[in-house]
Amino acid sequence: MSHAADKRIGQLREGLEINLKLDFMEDDEIRDIFDEIASFDPSLMQKILALSLSLSHASSSFVISTLARIRKARRILSMKSTEKWIANAFDLLDSKGIDPFIKFISKADDAEILKKYQGPEGLSLQSILPRLEAYIQGISGLELKIVQGKTAHTDTSTIYLPALMNLHTAKDENFLIYKLMVVHQWARITCGSLVPDDGIVKVFVKKQRNHPDIDSIFRNFQEREFAQDLYVILESIRSREFLVAELPGLMRKADELVKSIFEARPHLESLSAMTAVAEGLFQYYLCGKSKGSMPAGVKIISPKLKTLRQAKSPSSTFELLFDIYHAGCCISGKYEARDLSFLGTIRPDKVSKFLRTKRIEKKKNYEGMINRLLSAPEMENRKKPSAAKTETEERELRPDEKYLVIKGKIIELNSELREIVEERQGIPGGILVKGSDLGAGSPVTLADLVAEEEVEEVRTGGIPYDEWDYRRSGYKKHWCSVYEHDVYPGHEPFVEMTLRRYGAYVGLLRSKFEMLKREPKILRRQRDGDDIDIDAVVEAFSDMLAGLSPAEDLFIRIDRQERNIAVLFLLDMSGSTKGWVNEAEKEALVLMSEALEALGDSYAIYGFSGMTRTKCDYYRVKGFDENYSATIKKRIAGIEPKDYTRMGPAIRHSITLLQSVEARTRLCIILSDGKPEDWDSYKGEYAIEDTRKSLIEAREKGIHPFCITIDKEARSYLPHMYGEANYTVIDEVRKLPDKITEIYRRLTT
Amino acid sequence: MTVKSEKYMMEEEPYYRPVGDEIALFAAAYLNRIPVLLKGPTGSGKTRFMQYMAWLHKRPLVTVSCHDDLTASDLVGRYLVKGGETLWVDGPLARAVKVGGFCYLDEIVEARKDTTVVIHPLADDRRILPIEKRGEVLKAPAEFLLALSYNPGYQSVLKDLKQSTRQRFLALEFGYPNRELETEIIVHESRVNEEIAVRLVTFGEKTRNLKDRGLAEGASTRLLIHAAQLIVSGIGQAEACGAAISAPLTDDAEMYLALSEIVSSLF
Repeated sequence: MSHAADKRIGQLREGLEINLKLDFMEDDEIRDIFDEIASFDPSLMQKILALSLSLSHASSSFVISTLARIRKARRILSMKSTEKWIANAFDLLDSKGIDPFIKFISKADDAEILKKYQGPEGLSLQSILPRLEAYIQGISGLELKIVQGKTAHTDTSTIYLPALMNLHTAKDENFLIYKLMVVHQWARITCGSLVPDDGIVKVFVKKQRNHPDIDSIFRNFQEREFAQDLYVILESIRSREFLVAELPGLMRKADELVKSIFEARPHLESLSAMTAVAEGLFQYYLCGKSKGSMPAGVKIISPKLKTLRQAKSPSSTFELLFDIYHAGCCISGKYEARDLSFLGTIRPDKVSKFLRTKRIEKKKNYEGMINRLLSAPEMENRKKPSAAKTETEERELRPDEKYLVIKGKIIELNSELREIVEERQGIPGGILVKGSDLGAGSPVTLADLVAEEEVEEVRTGGIPYDEWDYRRSGYKKHWCSVYEHDVYPGHEPFVEMTLRRYGAYVGLLRSKFEMLKREPKILRRQRDGDDIDIDAVVEAFSDMLAGLSPAEDLFIRIDRQERNIAVLFLLDMSGSTKGWVNEAEKEALVLMSEALEALGDSYAIYGFSGMTRTKCDYYRVKGFDENYSATIKKRIAGIEPKDYTRMGPAIRHSITLLQSVEARTRLCIILSDGKPEDWDSYKGEYAIEDTRKSLIEAREKGIHPFCITIDKEARSYLPHMYGEANYTVIDEVRKLPDKITEIYRRLTT
Repeated sequence: MTVKSEKYMMEEEPYYRPVGDEIALFAAAYLNRIPVLLKGPTGSGKTRFMQYMAWLHKRPLVTVSCHDDLTASDLVGRYLVKGGETLWVDGPLARAVKVGGFCYLDEIVEARKDTTVVIHPLADDRRILPIEKRGEVLKAPAEFLLALSYNPGYQSVLKDLKQSTRQRFLALEFGYPNRELETEIIVHESRVNEEIAVRLVTFGEKTRNLKDRGLAEGASTRLLIHAAQLIVSGIGQAEACGAAISAPLTDDAEMYLALSEIVSSLF
């Protein structure tokens, strides 16, 4: 940036700062505003600063709200278009004044209006992301995410799509291409193109590696790009039937587009021989013919292409791929990759990486378990839990399998465990023994063993709670110790800042909740009721005397509509909430407290975290008997992420607290950000089952639990864990404060 | 012509396709005089099932749609003042008891809690309906049956059925029928051709995939039938699905567009 431009920006900043200070803004708030401005693209900075300065003459609150609007518009528009949009807003402010300006910028999220500023730039992925994601999740029933990437590809859990589509002038066509891209990636996932069966992989991988996958297959090829493109086309030929059957409408609409794409493709003779092979095959995929004839050596494959359509697995695709690849490589010429339009690409490396991370995660779990097992005190000294026998079903020793023996326990090997043993070349304290040499004994899995071998507690004086073990379908008596603490008060004026940030919304919220408050109503002139409505009776008699037929509604009924609700908010304070989630949880609590103060429902706020069953920490932010005072506000500010998420004991303790409160309806709202998990073996199915059980206990005791999960994906275990209708998923953290009050309203009316 | 509801008999066989063994269960419950609770999402055929049962067992069906202002006397009966004299008028529940019909309380959770208590003595082995205001007790004849319906998907804690109420009933779960059955139902109800019915069912499944991912509930069979009926009446497929399925399911503009995209991909 030039010196002059720097100087101008400096002047603008200074002017803005002075105006903001004049408006009694605190230093840190001013800093926030400048941080916000700095977060925009550098080339927009000058315009935004100038605009903010003009606005700050009127009021600093305009500056804040305008920045938020610009951010919204920027999400939909490209940088250039945003600039145009800001310029237009600025013109409006200068020429017509503040009111038309505010009207204009308040429509920053209206895609229709913003369209005008979009220009002939095509369709951005950002502007259609939510729609496209809902589209593919609905169609596939899978938890697929869509993320911006260089080319269209997938690692089987996330689909990457290019940021901008401007191949066509019409928006609809660009969107159609996006749809085709995303369904082709889905077809690749569902038809097994990316994760072929081990059997298939073994056939095509020469050098055996540890975990052969699709990446190992493609590493065999010298001309990897050529092979990958061929594979993409061949697999698309194979999965076409699938897509036509599943989505006839879309594929029909694609026909026109396919024709125009075919028209635009080059003549084969103009390409190098190798490129022509791939291109010819792509043209065959598009229209069943090619422009110009394929190189001679490759021609023989065309009957095989027809049988490929009926193939159920990628095995025949690979055979054909090798045929074509070898024929193609014999021909001279370099391969120049050409864009395969909506077919996109494959990235075997990413698929492999994704599979590896999943594997490593599992392995880490096992390693942790082994370490803990080895460091656990000798088991001879400890008496066995009496239920241990029934805990796992009896397993038979298989003579030719190997087993890991640690401290006299026979542990079954699975693929992950076997790998760990191989990597470490044996585990000190454990030996590998063949089943036939072991004679008698029954093997157990590692997970079972660790659960049994919990380290004994160190802290004392906690409140004991049972924990549910689904494997023995019984409780572990006094298994967890819950310790109650107060949250250490924070010193930031967090509550005040939140209230200021949500400004007008808080007022609206209070009045909304005040409306829920119901006074007992006297209903007059009822057909039946608790008492006689004297006025009506007098009237009726006078009517009668007058010879008229008297009214029949002669009673008073008292309609008692009082609310009698006690609610406990239970906050996940685990380490994973660090950052936005924690911030949003706190903001949500502030808004909720405001609303509940207006409504008069009795409420309490607690948080939980902890590490292992012996240290389940339960933090008090606000008890039922405490008023929403300055101390409480400081405690809210002091909420910060701690350790792990052992949900069961926290919920059980909440039940105890709620039971001590007098109320007709008792409600426990749990805010969390994902799966329950602790440092020890409290994870996976065990944790889910224990949480589920504790929620069932709550319901048995007349408490309604409701869970709000902040997660990008609605995970499939949620309905099982929380119960069909007893949870909701919020996909965007920022929405939590707005949403939670709505949820509460819906829950209690 | 007016017919008192307790005298009203189903004359034609209502169309009903069993999903599981609910007909046998109902028959056994009826024989043993156990009241039944029909659970399931909206549009899954609970009301139709009751009509079919009333026809099958040849009993009159009295249906009460519950709402939050429904009082006990709305069910049992009340005194009305007519021409200076008081006159007792039976409520629908009392009438059903008297004629030994089926009394079906639709969406029982909507009713106020104190109201649901009046059915308790009727729902256990006493099978009586005390009418407090008249100091009378009605004894239910053997033919009488009480049925409630309830949608467990509602997320309001104030609208949950009390344990003391639920534990008097035999519960029949209603879900979405499987593909073939749902297609058959749609074809029967709307006379649409089978190909379109299959696609509607597929769309229904896709919307059910989106439950909790933006939709509160997937499309019910009833919605699919509505769409099919519109198509038979000459409305375009996309428009019919939009008006009958997508728009009732969501108010969110983005979600509506996503659903429209799914429709256009399927048809």
